[in-house]
Amino acid sequence: MRTTRAVVASALAAGLLLLQAACRREPAALGQAVPPSGPQQGGFVIVAIPADLATLNEYHWGTGASELQVIDMLFPTLMQEQPDYHLHPPSFAPRLASSWEFSQDNRTLTFSLRRDAFWSDGVPVTAEDVRFTFQVQKDPRIGSPGLEIKDFISHVEVVDPFTVRFHFTRVYPYQLMDANDGHIVPAHAWGKIPFEQWAETDFMTRMVTCGPFRFASFSPQQTLILDRDPTYWGQPRPYLNRVIFRVIPEASSQVNQLLGGQVHVVPMVPPRLAERVKSSRDVDLVEVPSRTWGFIAWNNRHPLFRDRRVRRAMTYAINRKNAVDTAYHGFARLAVGPILSSMWAFNRNLPQFPYDPEQARALLREAGWLPSPADGTLMRNGTPFTFDLLYPATNPIRQDLALMIQSDLAKIGVRVRPQPIEYTTMVARLESGDFAASMSAWEEATKVDLTGTWATPGPGQGSNNFVAYSNPEVDRLIAAARLEPDHTRAKVILDRIQELIVEDQPVTFLYESTLLVGVSRAIKGADINASSVFFNIEEWYWGS
Amino acid sequence: MLRWLLRRAAAGVVLVWLVATATFFLVAATPGNITQHIESQRLTPEARARWRRDFGLDQPLPLRYARWLAAVGRGDLGHSWLHHRRVAVILGETLPRTLILASLGLALEILGGIAVALVQIRRPHGVLDRLLSTTTLTAYALPTFWIGLLLVYVFAYRLPLFPPSHMLSPAGEMASGWPRMLDLAHHLVLPAVTIGLTGMGAVARYLRGSLLDERLEHYVLAARARGCSAARAMWVHALPNALLPLVTLVGLSLPFLVSGSLVIEVVFAWPGMGRAMYEAALARDVPLLMGGTLVATIAVVVGNFVADILYTVIDPRIRR
Repeated sequence: MRTTRAVVASALAAGLLLLQAACRREPAALGQAVPPSGPQQGGFVIVAIPADLATLNEYHWGTGASELQVIDMLFPTLMQEQPDYHLHPPSFAPRLASSWEFSQDNRTLTFSLRRDAFWSDGVPVTAEDVRFTFQVQKDPRIGSPGLEIKDFISHVEVVDPFTVRFHFTRVYPYQLMDANDGHIVPAHAWGKIPFEQWAETDFMTRMVTCGPFRFASFSPQQTLILDRDPTYWGQPRPYLNRVIFRVIPEASSQVNQLLGGQVHVVPMVPPRLAERVKSSRDVDLVEVPSRTWGFIAWNNRHPLFRDRRVRRAMTYAINRKNAVDTAYHGFARLAVGPILSSMWAFNRNLPQFPYDPEQARALLREAGWLPSPADGTLMRNGTPFTFDLLYPATNPIRQDLALMIQSDLAKIGVRVRPQPIEYTTMVARLESGDFAASMSAWEEATKVDLTGTWATPGPGQGSNNFVAYSNPEVDRLIAAARLEPDHTRAKVILDRIQELIVEDQPVTFLYESTLLVGVSRAIKGADINASSVFFNIEEWYWGS
Repeated sequence: MLRWLLRRAAAGVVLVWLVATATFFLVAATPGNITQHIESQRLTPEARARWRRDFGLDQPLPLRYARWLAAVGRGDLGHSWLHHRRVAVILGETLPRTLILASLGLALEILGGIAVALVQIRRPHGVLDRLLSTTTLTAYALPTFWIGLLLVYVFAYRLPLFPPSHMLSPAGEMASGWPRMLDLAHHLVLPAVTIGLTGMGAVARYLRGSLLDERLEHYVLAARARGCSAARAMWVHALPNALLPLVTLVGLSLPFLVSGSLVIEVVFAWPGMGRAMYEAALARDVPLLMGGTLVATIAVVVGNFVADILYTVIDPRIRR
């Protein structure tokens, strides 16, 4: 009996070891992960992503920043936007278009397309694809946000198979950027699908692409695999044979696998894990200023925060520098105004709001809020100064910030109740105005247009200005800046808008986060910048 | 018997309809909708409004319900709003993955529990019995995700014997036949053991109790008196009868097979139905959420139905 048991146990152990040995061939089984040296073709890169990409059709519902980075490897834009928005409005380099030219009155813009570009099924890319893409962007049945972006483009004309002309209804500074917005999609393949059926079409099964990589396979909740397109027409041609996007929901698992070598790129390392990545000998931590910025949204319609003195007092009472440094472990900058400090249009002389509880108390006293003798809570007409501060329950950084804000405001007699709330529910409450304050964030576009977030929406007009900020002078200036074709003159107007908004403090500006990208040191040639982690994916290669 | 079967089947259909209807209205009553799931300035309110209309969210609730019910009646679960793919296809992909993991976990839980109980019963109240009771009940009391993370830490990072997550490695995904099966088995070890470890305590406890009772029953004593060995009395006579309460326990565990492994799926990045449902709930992807609920409810009803039938087969007294 004892012998039998021993045999069974040894067999089990041997089986497990065999199983384990048989399965530990991971990267090698895929071919050559690490070719010998120098920029040469071959190998693959595994990128960790937290969830499946919702779609690879940019004009579908659900296209976010992660989707766009991958779509950019598969579909071309007319031009490539350069990461130089810190100096001036972004410039452009040729991509599908080899050249472009404005008419004398600036009302038409003509693009000459490359003649050697082909879709992955061998069909040439032509002006008709550009025209079809514009039709997709403007059709309300598709519902793409492009409908507003292309507001001032009346139509797109096919001049000849390789020349396409955009007609504008007005002259304004972002004509080039708006014409370029959105990736070109294949008219001959996707044009066969009626627009009514787009929302219900699985485009992963109809991938006809035209980028350095092509779609290879998709396994839901596991991997998305892109292979090098051997017929790619652009320069340089990619060195890597394959890019594998692997779904790893947990951020700490992503980092563990990066450090263990099972994953080569983690596009978003949480600040709390940054030191671990930094101290590794095999992995680099690339720090890029991101365009995400966070703020405390005060509901400007709420009785507590209607008065700008109260909002200014809140900003003075919060030790923002300390809160941001603590929550982000030093990997974020203090935000000061409505335009990111990394952008060309940022006003470097904005009024400062240092941590000054005395100033906060004085402003609140002026607004009628006095400490109660019992416990020091601020009171006005018998009402205590107390409110709920909403934050997404799944976001630990915003939770830390909310707790530090609660503690700072308690010192001046303001009682804050931090309220974790499920994300979609929170957005619904913000949109309906059912909130007092929330920890929110935006990801800013490279186009400086303050209309959507800071202007007073007209009747029936939609707006992202959910804090209901309204200042007629700001509205007037935003409209003027939007139409000013000269960016030096526009900067003067934008400087004044920033001053007015900062003085009003419709929100308390908190942080501008840094994008932390973990990359295996063996990967060479990567230029990870503010435009995209995969900005020059064609030039990535495996070093020795 | 046939009337009983028909009555149970009819009750099952009504139950599925009730659960699905209640879920539909609960989801509708939850604040927020799919168009509020993404935080992006690029997404204008006008674009959000257009998507809301496309998804039919501007229609009155009773009309949306009637349309959904009619479509389900035709066997059409619709398209996922989040993934732009047919719900039936998504469920067809994810349900088997959940079933593989959960059934293996359940098997480990039952077999492990039986093994532990059999060891315990050899010397009731002895040191080994107490030690095993404490260990298995501690595992039962600990949160599943904690045990999962502990196993990952020890057996995937400290001693890199097993993969920490996923169902297949990138190489396994591209392979077929045996290499793929081996890769799958390798990935199954940690999550299945986690499920097995957490549930083993309950099985062992039930079985130990009922074995202690059965041991003293007259038929076991009679068998011993007839010269039957202690082992034979235990294995052949006591054990089959002691296993009866386990059928109920397993019947109650059946819902877990389809819906209960969510935590495990998240910890181990297992691409199953639990995770798909979790993401659908967060994104308010109504068609996928409703499709998943329907499948899970049907599975539970059918599972319990099968357990009832099994019970009548195993224990002839029930049939009377």
